[in-house]
Amino acid sequence: MSITYLEAIRLAQQRVLAEDPRVFIYGQDIGGFGGAFKATKNLAKEFPGRVLDAPISEDAMVGMAIGAAVEGMRPIVEMQFADFSTCGLNQIVNQAATLHYRTGTPCPLVVRLPSGGTPGGGPFHSQSMEALYAHYPGLVVMTPATVEDAYTMLLEAVALDDPVIFCEHKFLYYHLKAEKLPEEALPFGKARITRPGRDATVVAYSAMVHEALAAAEELSQDGYDIEVVDLRTVKPIDTDTILASVARTGRLLVVSEDWPWGGVAAEVITRVAAEGFGLLDAPPQRLNARETPVPYHPALWGTHRPTASSVANSLRQLLEL
Amino acid sequence: MPLLPIIMPQLGESIAEATIVSAAFSVGDRVEADTDLLEVETNKAVMAVTAPCGGILKELSAVIGESYAVGATLGYLEISEEDAERLGLNDAPPAPVEQPKKKQNSGGDTSQAGKKTVKPTVSGLPVPAHAGGATFLSPRMKARMAELGLHAADLAGVAGSGAGGRVTIDDLERFLQDLERNTISPASSMRVAVADAMRRSWTRPLATVVLPVQLDILLAHRKQQTVKAGPALYALRALSIALSEMPATAGRLIGDRVIHPRSVDIGFAVEAEDGVLVPVIRHADQFPLVDLVERYNRLVELARARRLPGSDTGGSIATITNYGVFGLTMATPIPLPEQTLLLGIGAGKITPSWDADKKEFVPVTEAQFTLSFDHRVLDGGAAGRLLQRVSQLLGTPEKL
Repeated sequence: MSITYLEAIRLAQQRVLAEDPRVFIYGQDIGGFGGAFKATKNLAKEFPGRVLDAPISEDAMVGMAIGAAVEGMRPIVEMQFADFSTCGLNQIVNQAATLHYRTGTPCPLVVRLPSGGTPGGGPFHSQSMEALYAHYPGLVVMTPATVEDAYTMLLEAVALDDPVIFCEHKFLYYHLKAEKLPEEALPFGKARITRPGRDATVVAYSAMVHEALAAAEELSQDGYDIEVVDLRTVKPIDTDTILASVARTGRLLVVSEDWPWGGVAAEVITRVAAEGFGLLDAPPQRLNARETPVPYHPALWGTHRPTASSVANSLRQLLEL
Repeated sequence: MPLLPIIMPQLGESIAEATIVSAAFSVGDRVEADTDLLEVETNKAVMAVTAPCGGILKELSAVIGESYAVGATLGYLEISEEDAERLGLNDAPPAPVEQPKKKQNSGGDTSQAGKKTVKPTVSGLPVPAHAGGATFLSPRMKARMAELGLHAADLAGVAGSGAGGRVTIDDLERFLQDLERNTISPASSMRVAVADAMRRSWTRPLATVVLPVQLDILLAHRKQQTVKAGPALYALRALSIALSEMPATAGRLIGDRVIHPRSVDIGFAVEAEDGVLVPVIRHADQFPLVDLVERYNRLVELARARRLPGSDTGGSIATITNYGVFGLTMATPIPLPEQTLLLGIGAGKITPSWDADKKEFVPVTEAQFTLSFDHRVLDGGAAGRLLQRVSQLLGTPEKL
């Protein structure tokens, strides 16, 4: 049996629906249709009344889910695309994120964002929203890069009492496969050293972990050992693991599919510069998507986002500094 | 028949090039394997370039007396097909530099791509010609050095292996590890203090001018005195008068402004255990020589006992150093970091001097006076005029 990233998300939802009666899923076309990407395929049939079709209003979806969470439920909201979640932004950042701070009432809500670019996705179906949500205190932002993490982290997201923005990458949905799903996972908020190395550190998350790994493989032909750190959760961010890695390598490149301004890459570099300046052998670098809307054309899209070859180029420059 | 390049070999760690001393064979000669083809010299030793296999010396491009970089082609041997096969001559483009592709922490390799050999510069350079050394220090290097209490000067001898020849953290650790094989003793605090002052001073462009000064009149004057001043004190007094006439000479250049001295306070170097102390005579221009003798002698004693009060040291605008007491005739000492001038006195000796009136050589006592100075503040001319004026004043010791 081989399980895809998308299948892992479906199986995690199936498991929490089965194990926790407080869980329900709410989203557009997720019932009989099984969701835009089929992440809830057959779940409506298996769990009648708990996988619910929502009207085309992200605002209403999140608002209703917050109310249910306040009342003790554990709702999962599926956005069709991460891009559309901005229509529910007020509910997410003003209500869900601040609820516990304002009232002492937890808000155990998961909002699933099918994120990131795919060829031909274009400006409204390709965005990465993690930096936006990470900006607000009160939200947890998860960005799994592997099938295993997609599974265990979604279980963890449902178990958490805080509102979680779960950024699942659409490009990984079908590409990534695993033989079996794990029962155990790294602790919450812990980054993973996916590939150990000693010449430079690449910090990445979500789909960019795979571009970084391919770049590291390419540079290994030249005799370089590149360490790849997968953040897994961008908020909270595992500064300790990042600093420990930079302490080993002295060089840092942060790769993110998001835009550069105020992004996760900027945050990582700020932390390393502020807390680990004396660990650096070269100015820390970042590689983000180009600062334009995400282009439709697959060829343009391929140059817009960081790729294994652009990561390798950035690394070569970094190693020269 | 295949041609095998004769390559300048790696003659030892940190040797970048070597000079050709002699050639044992001429073009056309038959040579056996492992015979010495060329004798080459680094500044460390004379070594040989040997033939890796037998053959006929086909070409000798190396010129005797010229220096060539490690990896440079010095000539060609015509060798057999079998030897060429064995040496892998056919699989590689001609004359690859004999350097294994090495994995480097910071990628110096890739930056060197396409640049196979170091261009020969001056002969016998002991360190790689294009090594950056410890000129750029990354935050990581700085942090590690601060932790260990090291300065860039401590790493002057480390040739970096990093990008652009930078000294990497690995170079540093290797260097430190290597030191452990030596006998190590702690430096005294005095030694460390002198080192610190000299290192800071050396950040400036320093120069020295020299003038022979006849001391016969001065010595005769000294003989007549009941309270005797040493030559250093005569010089101190003369310098203080000269500087009171041209104080800007002792000024300091800070940014685009010359900072003039507030008063003519002159220091003088006194050797103390494992270092040098510099007591100061304040307002030396305002007291006749005879009044300074007792002060001077007391300060020397205090300095030697290392009991110099803070008020009697620091803040001077120039220093006198009498290295003549060590028998030295000339030196280029380094001024203190906060000073522009250092007047040095060499050992006096009797030497023939042409007397134009008598038309003959007469014996005179002469010492070399040196003035070391910060070249940013003054030039050789101004330094020379100051030194000439000091010499002139020493010619009339009764006026000091």
